[in-house]
Amino acid sequence: MTEAIIPGAAAVLPPAADPTAPLSERKQARRENWRLIRRRPGFIVGLIISLFWVLCAILGTHIAPKSPTKFLAKPNISPNGAFWFGTDKLGRDIFARVLVGAREVLVVAPVAALLGVIGGTLLGLLMGYKGGLVDSVLSRLVEAVLAMPTILIALLAVTTLGKSRFVVICTVAALFVPIVSRTVRAAVLAERNLDYVTSAKLRGESTMFIVGREILPNVLGPIIVETTVRIGYAIFTVAGLAFLGAGPEQGSPDWGAQVNEARQSLNGGIWWPTVFPALAIASLVIAVNLIADSIQSVLEA
Amino acid sequence: MKRYILGRLLQTVITLWILATVVFFLVNVLPGNPGRTIYGNTAPEVVVEKYNRQIGYYDPAITQYGRAMKQLFTLDYGNSWRFNKPVSSVVWPAFGRSAKLAILALILTVPIAILAGRFAAKRRDSLLDRTIVTTGLATSSLPEFVTGSLLLYLFCVKWKIFKAFADPPAGTSFFGQWRYLLLPAIAMAIVYFGYVARMTRAGVINALNADYTRTATMKGLSPRQVMNRHIMRNALGPTIAVVAVQIGYLFGGLVMIETVFNYSGIGSLLLKAIVQKDMPVLQATIIMIGLVYMLATLAADLLIAWLNPRILLKAS
Amino acid sequence: MQPALDVRDLEVAYTVRGIPRAVLRGVTFEVAPGEAFGLVGESGCGKSTTAYAALRYLPRNGAITAGQVLVDGKDITGMDAETLRRFRAREASMVYQDPGQALNPSLRIGRQLIESFTLLGQSKSEAAESALRALRRVHIAAPSSVMDRYPHQLSGGMLQRVVIAMALACNPKLLVLDEPTTGLDATVEAEVLELVKELRRETGAAVLMIAHNLGIIRDMCERVGVMYAGKIVEHGPAGAVFDHPQHPYTVGLLRSLPRRGARKHQRQLATIPGTLPLIGSILPTCVFVDRCPLADETCRTVEPPITDLGGGRWTRCHYPERIGELAAPEPSVDIAMLAPSAAGDGLLELSQVSKTFRQRGADIPALVDVELRLAEGETLGLVGESGSGKSTLAKTILGIESRDEGGTVALDGKAVAGSTMARSADEKRAVQMVFQNPDSALNRAWSVRRILTRAVRKLTGVKGEAANTRVEQLAAHLRLTPRHLDLKPRQLSGGLKQRVAIARAFAGDPRIVVCDEPTSALDVSVQAAILNLLADLQAEQRTSYVFITHDMGVVRYLADRIAVMYLGRIQELGPTDEVFNGPNHPYTEALLSAVPSVDGQTRERIVLSGEVPTPANPPAGCVFHPRCHRMIQGVCDVAEPPLVEVRPGHSMRCHIPIEDLARLQQADTLGVGA
Repeated sequence: MTEAIIPGAAAVLPPAADPTAPLSERKQARRENWRLIRRRPGFIVGLIISLFWVLCAILGTHIAPKSPTKFLAKPNISPNGAFWFGTDKLGRDIFARVLVGAREVLVVAPVAALLGVIGGTLLGLLMGYKGGLVDSVLSRLVEAVLAMPTILIALLAVTTLGKSRFVVICTVAALFVPIVSRTVRAAVLAERNLDYVTSAKLRGESTMFIVGREILPNVLGPIIVETTVRIGYAIFTVAGLAFLGAGPEQGSPDWGAQVNEARQSLNGGIWWPTVFPALAIASLVIAVNLIADSIQSVLEA
Repeated sequence: MKRYILGRLLQTVITLWILATVVFFLVNVLPGNPGRTIYGNTAPEVVVEKYNRQIGYYDPAITQYGRAMKQLFTLDYGNSWRFNKPVSSVVWPAFGRSAKLAILALILTVPIAILAGRFAAKRRDSLLDRTIVTTGLATSSLPEFVTGSLLLYLFCVKWKIFKAFADPPAGTSFFGQWRYLLLPAIAMAIVYFGYVARMTRAGVINALNADYTRTATMKGLSPRQVMNRHIMRNALGPTIAVVAVQIGYLFGGLVMIETVFNYSGIGSLLLKAIVQKDMPVLQATIIMIGLVYMLATLAADLLIAWLNPRILLKAS
Repeated sequence: MQPALDVRDLEVAYTVRGIPRAVLRGVTFEVAPGEAFGLVGESGCGKSTTAYAALRYLPRNGAITAGQVLVDGKDITGMDAETLRRFRAREASMVYQDPGQALNPSLRIGRQLIESFTLLGQSKSEAAESALRALRRVHIAAPSSVMDRYPHQLSGGMLQRVVIAMALACNPKLLVLDEPTTGLDATVEAEVLELVKELRRETGAAVLMIAHNLGIIRDMCERVGVMYAGKIVEHGPAGAVFDHPQHPYTVGLLRSLPRRGARKHQRQLATIPGTLPLIGSILPTCVFVDRCPLADETCRTVEPPITDLGGGRWTRCHYPERIGELAAPEPSVDIAMLAPSAAGDGLLELSQVSKTFRQRGADIPALVDVELRLAEGETLGLVGESGSGKSTLAKTILGIESRDEGGTVALDGKAVAGSTMARSADEKRAVQMVFQNPDSALNRAWSVRRILTRAVRKLTGVKGEAANTRVEQLAAHLRLTPRHLDLKPRQLSGGLKQRVAIARAFAGDPRIVVCDEPTSALDVSVQAAILNLLADLQAEQRTSYVFITHDMGVVRYLADRIAVMYLGRIQELGPTDEVFNGPNHPYTEALLSAVPSVDGQTRERIVLSGEVPTPANPPAGCVFHPRCHRMIQGVCDVAEPPLVEVRPGHSMRCHIPIEDLARLQQADTLGVGA
């Protein structure tokens, strides 16, 4: 029961910006959205946590009080004043490893997500605008890919092609392409039949122009939302891959790999090597999703 | 309706065929030598070669593709390279175990999540709504192995309520098994609660804003009648779609839960097949998981069309 | 006698961004039992809010801040939830705009209708019986089969009948109708309005009716209130208010309508300068003061009192006696010079143009053998119900849809390709379009300047600084200020958006502009400005228009010739005055009679029975015969009449000779007068 129900009520609401305002209206609309996003507590919390991890990823070894890779003490010391998060089964400092572990995920995940969004956008634009046979065929293909268990297919690719960063990025991006393309396709479908597209055709615009210059700016909202959501999933997937044993080479600090290495000792009551990296992943993923959610609620309002 | 069902079935078959083709390419671009994989590095070349010839490893791609298609339609993938027994005797039991876990997780998630979503929508912007939405967002964004590990720590290590492994000892009674399955199922349920609850909430809010809801209210129906008779039917569409997509993920995506809880379901079978390059098992499991996903979405689409016949019009 | 609805000093506010903003600023009126009261005004004036507030239904952010609403003596503003629910179930009902949205898409009609009766305490079987009766009461021929259908399987007219049946389930004391026929075809609208009249007589319910169409209100209501910015500014018997308005706003509203056979070369339409104040604006004095030509110092400082004019009439104006000073618009010299050029040399010529769509293997003929000529500087009006093929015809001319093999579309005697893509730059430039909905027609991501610059560059080939200059000239010509150029479409009002769309169409000096209902989404005062603009542009540039509309007043004002379409065929084609004055095609006759006029009805409505047949399966013989009130058995249902010239420049597709039509139609008109 929002204002839209009563016909005319929506029409009497003041327009989003005062028409007498100065000329840089575009910037102002953006500023208005930005202001609305900033006012959401979820966004603030998410941003603070994310920035913290980004800082750790950049400075990593410089701010960690101890070395993340050296065997410093006896294995499996429970958290104490010297080792805040305890030590792992090789006697390394878990606190340092958690701080430094942010780097792997924060390099790989955003790049993979971005590539996936770019690919998915191109594919979605093509499917949505062309329609017909092209769309039907590609839609089936997308549906088939979606039917496969994402993380396991990624694992398959990584185990075959090698555990390099490059392979992980490409694999995750490739798996995101069909997912993103569905979102973009739906948005393009809604635009395709609007009259401004007809008008462009009437003055003889090329398909490239119509798709790239006329339609694309109008579907940027969903694409931005999709990008943030995808970054969250990329972190999820990259950590998952590491957990399943397809992470970076043994020994280098990575949250997913840490959880995997330590989980066998969980039954023995040695919880800290598992729980701290798990919480680190949790905090980052939740933070990114809080940001994504805030952007989504503002852009889709 | 009949037309719609037939069309949708045809779509499913085509998708399945594409899936099989994609899997075929995946498997064939992978470097690997099946005979060598099976007999190990020390086996004489003759043995390896004989085996490879036997399974058609040297056949032209098109012959191999034909074989893959035949396998798809007979669902007979021959012998596992690793276990040296028919693929079906490896896949089916694992599939059954995963199904048990997935069904339990669904039973735990769906009703509670729908109720929560409905409640949140009704009290939109209240503290409770925000709590449900934020909790849902947080839990559904966590990787399952994180949730699983944390639960395992709390319930098995700290409080010692549950067993830390999900495979019940042989001979455990039907009901006795639940004790082992409950914790992994809860771990899944926690992850999926958020998806379903948020989708239900969005659906209900949409329906609350619709003109027909206004009509129902103006007729003099009570809010509860409006909700039960008019809103839920329309609001459940997207929720059903999400549940269906999840059923697919519950089977394949939950390899992590199965790993955390040492449960030998289809996810961990596929994991093993990947690591060990056991191609027949790998193909069979991926097809199996894809099949479940497609059947679930098919069922969901039919259910949605039945609930809201207008879909049929749009689809045609 | 106690009024059925008594609204006293009602104030409603919507909270937007945390601030309550006034929407209704003290609305007062009464509706007696059995009486119909109409509220008119342009969008945003608060009429719908008043209607919904009368049943205490407000958006989540809305609240009644002062005043009372008494229905049958009971104040509904103070009712608790349960009492209010019972009140809605038993004493008041509502009929909505857009019946397609008002019914639940996933429940069968029967279930939704039966529910209205079980709410009254009837058992399931009683309610089912009552539902069938209710459907028969609204003249639904096969009620039990309709009960089994879903809403999307029924036409708009049928759905509105169902909604009306639902509303009447409880024999309400008060029936609120909110734009009940907006979006329906004129012929369907006529049917629905007749039905409402008949049911009013039967039930004696008091009616509160909201409509932006003044003709409907005059036709349906005894008394009327004219609303502006959340206040009723003039009030009185419908005939008196519309014939002798006593408030400057009412005068402006009525003068902006193209009526009484007004034509573009006779006079311009009046407009109301300025815009409606935003909701929540502080309006301490007269609400209309900023747009009123009579306003003086008193109007700006003192709130006008209610001036009683006797006979139940009042106006909220300081100077009702000065209304006569409001000057009618002068006939403009430019426009007087504009005469439709002789239909000699055809600028655009269509011959044998057909368009067949294929759907599920079946052929659906949307256009059948259309023959048309359009001269330079001429306006051709295209009228007909939805599904008649007017839009398809326009799209075929434009090349958005490719015509079937065999037909030709010729520009200056030279045949052009079926699809826009295959046409030359000059041919593209020659034919442009103005769309119905400017929100859809303008790219929301682009600024006005970019929209126009792109059109100028692409259509004229002019580049760089020259293009910018041309854009500025174009904008100035369309009365857009340089400031507008830097805005996005969403920052403009509906009228300004449509100006931008027109500017874009004129960017390359087109020979022909196809206008697809360009004013149907606009308020009448804005419509007037747009129609004036189109007429001016035509006078200066001798552009030809193909003008699609369902508004007979508009088409009469603007068009030189009119083509009446039905099921993809041109049924009648002739000079505007001849088509309007008759003798005309029976279908044209019915269309014209269906339009409620703000000047009062001159003749009885011809109600077209039945639904428009589907083009996939057109009736044998004359396609119009199943609905024709002059159908001749054995003739019309056998052979399709050809389109023949009955008078110079006037063709018709009818078996009845024109002399007979003239006689029959004259007899009918006289019959009403007697």
